[in-house]
Amino acid sequence: MSNSELLEPRRERWYESKRFKRFRRNPLAVIGVVILLFFSFVGLFAPALTADRLGRACIRDLGMGRSEVRQVLRDPLDLRFWKTMLVPPKSCYNIPRVSYSPRPKPPSKKYPMGIASGGYDIYYGIVWGTRTSFFIGILVVGIVMVIATVVGGVAGLFGGWLDNLLMRLVDVVYSIPSLVLAMVFASIFGRGLIKTMIAIALVAWPIYARMLRGNILQVKAQDYISAAHAVGVGNLRLFFKHILPNAIGPMVILASLDIGAIVITASTLAFLGLGADVGYADWGQMISFARSWISNPGGEPLKYWYVWFWPSVAIALFVLGWNLLGDAVRDALDPRG
Amino acid sequence: MLNYIIRRVLQIPLVLFVLSLIIVGLMQLLSPQQRAAAFVTSDKQIEHLDQIIEKYHLDEGFLVQYGMWAREVLKGNLGFSRISKEPVTTTIRKRFPASVELALAAFVPIVLVGVFLGTIAAVNRDKLIDQVLRVVAIIGWSLPTFVMAIWLVAWVYGGLGWFGIGRLPNEMLIDLATSNFHQYTGMYTIDGILNGRLDVTWQALIRLVLPATALVIVVSAGIMRVMRSSMLDELGKDYVRTARAKGLTENRVIYKHAWRNALIPVITMAGPMLGRMIGGIVVIELIFNFPGLGEWAAKAATQLDMTTLLAFVMLIGLIMATVNLLVDIAYVIVDPRIRYE
Repeated sequence: MSNSELLEPRRERWYESKRFKRFRRNPLAVIGVVILLFFSFVGLFAPALTADRLGRACIRDLGMGRSEVRQVLRDPLDLRFWKTMLVPPKSCYNIPRVSYSPRPKPPSKKYPMGIASGGYDIYYGIVWGTRTSFFIGILVVGIVMVIATVVGGVAGLFGGWLDNLLMRLVDVVYSIPSLVLAMVFASIFGRGLIKTMIAIALVAWPIYARMLRGNILQVKAQDYISAAHAVGVGNLRLFFKHILPNAIGPMVILASLDIGAIVITASTLAFLGLGADVGYADWGQMISFARSWISNPGGEPLKYWYVWFWPSVAIALFVLGWNLLGDAVRDALDPRG
Repeated sequence: MLNYIIRRVLQIPLVLFVLSLIIVGLMQLLSPQQRAAAFVTSDKQIEHLDQIIEKYHLDEGFLVQYGMWAREVLKGNLGFSRISKEPVTTTIRKRFPASVELALAAFVPIVLVGVFLGTIAAVNRDKLIDQVLRVVAIIGWSLPTFVMAIWLVAWVYGGLGWFGIGRLPNEMLIDLATSNFHQYTGMYTIDGILNGRLDVTWQALIRLVLPATALVIVVSAGIMRVMRSSMLDELGKDYVRTARAKGLTENRVIYKHAWRNALIPVITMAGPMLGRMIGGIVVIELIFNFPGLGEWAAKAATQLDMTTLLAFVMLIGLIMATVNLLVDIAYVIVDPRIRYE
């Protein structure tokens, strides 16, 4: 053993840290991770899980015959299997319609979760809706981070009147309940998944911009920044190389844990009819299909339970998974604990 | 303090101004025809969209349009709502009491449940009951309001046939319209008492149970969290140790000393809580068929009724700004250590 190895203490790996141990020993965190792993599995293997029920357009875009598709989607050794899992054609996200009947049909062997009003296969919608939820959550968080980094970065770096102006804008947007503002934005942008996501992101960024600005101001006051400045590091380099990387961490973590809240807003908008296009596999929209079948007054109560039950449980569990994880991470990062 | 309040009050119109700029600005993404639809009051007018566009300068720039809108608003004319087929101000006057009634019915239980459960969790820190409450809070926090509302409608109203939806039974609404029932406040629970019609009050009350429950479940979790951590903070402070050292009973220490101080941070939750409540009310009114402002706005959003939406957002902005100001003032009153310059 050489001298330097003796002198230098072995660096602690992340999985050995006290924080990670605290996280791992938290049973709620473990449950959250298990729920999310389950959903990731369902989302990733959605094409295989629905191999028998893919719509006509989807099969056409896969460029194979129906029987060939079935075979490929059962064979993980086939390269096309993985290609379909990772980048399925867009048309597969549309729930194939079994019929055009407005009356829902109860679960059967072929349609294990039943058929919603309009002939939509509920099982298909739930499975592919998992992908949609991950997609919405991750992409909105991405857009939010970009907006927050630009606004928070400019405010924190330049300060002065620009900082003042941007922070007042943050105050204004933050002061309106996010659902209300998102509803207005989504109404103006019109229907469509991407448009809805932009509407949500435009409402969700203020708190993170403010957080990043605060962290940047803190980092700017550190000695090593003055030192870097003193040796003549340029402003841009100083910002991107020294300030931003040290200030952005908490914002990135907290924003990604916000996926649960974002999925709540997105599904609420979809429920109101402001989400993805009609027929797109989206849990919120599936509940809106169920609107007139919820209480079934006059008839047998709960006769059409399956139309709202499955999608609402899926949303609740998905959000719960993210919130359990988020709560545990916040706990583990809390310096007081 | 007075200076501070005056400055804050003067800021409210500024907030509304910026808000309206943002929304009218985004409305420029719509075509002049879509914007013209906001001014249509009858089917006949649809054929004359061009005239409307010309009359209201809808094909001109942002500043002209904003000026047109602002001039009308300053005159007290918020425009015509396509959804309710009447002037926006009339609809707001009609529907506001319904939403306020629902908000008030939910507010007290939300605070009581949140504070009570938060205190219990803190006092029994890390014991079983704390863990259970923590899970309950996360579940409550994770349920979208519309999911909770649908479960309640399906299981309690649909399944068990309990309570009811809407504001009043239809027969009763017709009865009230034909009799000389005077609407003092627009809230049926109170008007029922004032008119000596306790049956109206009763029917209105039982119809508030389910929507209010949905709100309590999704909103009180946040209060509980704040209450728990603030109570834990207080219990760890020196004065609590002193109180214990004096030989006070544990109950007295907790409820007479720590609890009162722990309540202060809960006041700051009023703003975020109201925000969550307003978001919830929009969806809940739609699901429970409750004719309040939220239902109106939700319908307006799906039909691109921008006049209605703009007025709704302005109203919410005004309410939020006022409440946030009141919270700041209340904070100084309960905690004399705080000073605003």
